[in-house]
Amino acid sequence: MSNWLNHHLQAIKLVLFRMRNNALSTFMICLVIAVAMCLPSLFYMVVDNLSKLTDHMQSETEISLFLKQDAGKKTIAEINTVLAKNADIREYHLVTKDQAWKQLQEKSKNNQDISEAINQLGKNPLPDAFFIQAKSADPEALEALKDTLKDIPGVEQAILNADWAKRLAALLSIGKKLIFILAILFAIVLLIIIGNTVRMQILTQQDEIEVSYLIGATSSFIRIPFLYAGAIYGLFGGLLSILIMAGIIQTFNVSIMEISHLYNSDFSLQIFNIGLYLAITSAAVVIGWAGSYIAVSRAISTFRLN
Amino acid sequence: MIRFDNVSKRYPGSDEIFRNVSFRIDAGEFVYLTGQSGAGKSTLLKLIAATEPPTSGTVLIANQNVSKLKPSAIPFLRRRFGLIFQDHKLLYDRNCFENVILPLRINGISEQEAAKRVRAALDKVGLLKKEKAMPITLSGGEQQRLAIARAVVSRPAILLADEPTGNLDAEYAADIMAIFNAFNQVGVTVIMSTHDALGMSSNQNRTLHLNQGQLHETLTNAGSSKQAHPNNNPSAKELFRP
Repeated sequence: MSNWLNHHLQAIKLVLFRMRNNALSTFMICLVIAVAMCLPSLFYMVVDNLSKLTDHMQSETEISLFLKQDAGKKTIAEINTVLAKNADIREYHLVTKDQAWKQLQEKSKNNQDISEAINQLGKNPLPDAFFIQAKSADPEALEALKDTLKDIPGVEQAILNADWAKRLAALLSIGKKLIFILAILFAIVLLIIIGNTVRMQILTQQDEIEVSYLIGATSSFIRIPFLYAGAIYGLFGGLLSILIMAGIIQTFNVSIMEISHLYNSDFSLQIFNIGLYLAITSAAVVIGWAGSYIAVSRAISTFRLN
Repeated sequence: MIRFDNVSKRYPGSDEIFRNVSFRIDAGEFVYLTGQSGAGKSTLLKLIAATEPPTSGTVLIANQNVSKLKPSAIPFLRRRFGLIFQDHKLLYDRNCFENVILPLRINGISEQEAAKRVRAALDKVGLLKKEKAMPITLSGGEQQRLAIARAVVSRPAILLADEPTGNLDAEYAADIMAIFNAFNQVGVTVIMSTHDALGMSSNQNRTLHLNQGQLHETLTNAGSSKQAHPNNNPSAKELFRP
């Protein structure tokens, strides 16, 4: 056990020592990894924040339930009990035709043309209406709720004004798929970059590998320093990409907050997204490890003592 | 300890290097392997160290059939040997101390214990003061002694030396021979290949001579004067204390 630990500690020390000796090229490799990690992560960030924004907006969408003109007090009470029992509804309120009529007159007081037109109507054309907020913000759930409410007896029309939200959600789901593909492509690129870097290192350490084999090193002894090298490249690259991303987000937030203020919102991009940062770093470490594993296994299998 | 039974070896696309070679070497022996360049001395040593498989026949090391060992067991077999090469095979990107410590790292020995053993080995070959020097700054003889220090630092039971004195002048060669004799005195089996008489000391007991693919065994200079014999070398004993 202590042998094993010793061996790993020595390997890490050796790798860090070599990296320090080649600080510039190590930094370059980490920078390549960082940039490659940055692109899909930034894209994810944008889509993630946009979908949070639309969730926020969708939670304010209402279903408007307009009743038939001849609906009496009894019908309203019946519909009221049906709505009260529906578990999908967060809250609702009734606006009677008289209240609506008054509101309309109130609002149009300043506009000469409209108030004249209203006055000419003489009698109230507006129906009684329920305004309903659902618990879920999911467009499909809203649509289903709208359909059930439409079928309640005495209801003339149910309107869900969420078409734009549906379109945006569809666009975002395309965006999410795109991120997935982008992430896979960049993972392949990283695998190749790290694999190639490690392969070059193996070539420069051919003598050491040969001598080690001759004096009884196992393949895992040869392999372990290279695996750590790959993983450490990934780790540094991942951390560097977090720094770059935080810088980019900070730059954007200044202008985003200006726009948000214009819309009376406090929306801004999150700088500290621990989950995302953890995912980036661990993905980079795993890719580094895997890339160097492939490279070193290929080198070992073709290695011959002479 | 080491036994060859009807061992033949040919490299792919070449003639047979040797045919039906049989011999045994017991623990504690000092054996010379002689023959002209290209006679197969290096190949024979490679077969012993399991860096080359025999084409036919069996090679037994400590009662283990080398051809039947799993590949994963070979490294552990190799750790029984201290290997010394004509071209040293030193690593020129690190200093003497780091060169010698490599086998101990492979054996997973703690850094503290390893440092002690490295200094003992360097002391034994007279390079203690050069532990921080880079191998490239050493003379040919010193480089060979450094290679010996690396070979013995893990206290192997068998030393395999492939023409260790081949590139050295007589004085350096005598130094190296004295070191080998000292190790042999404390029980280490030494197998050494050489193509000239210069590298041989006068107190040898057994010689395996390779010629045209055949092995001939001779006893030369048996019972000759023991003057050149370095008597029980205390520091070598120290190094090989169990």
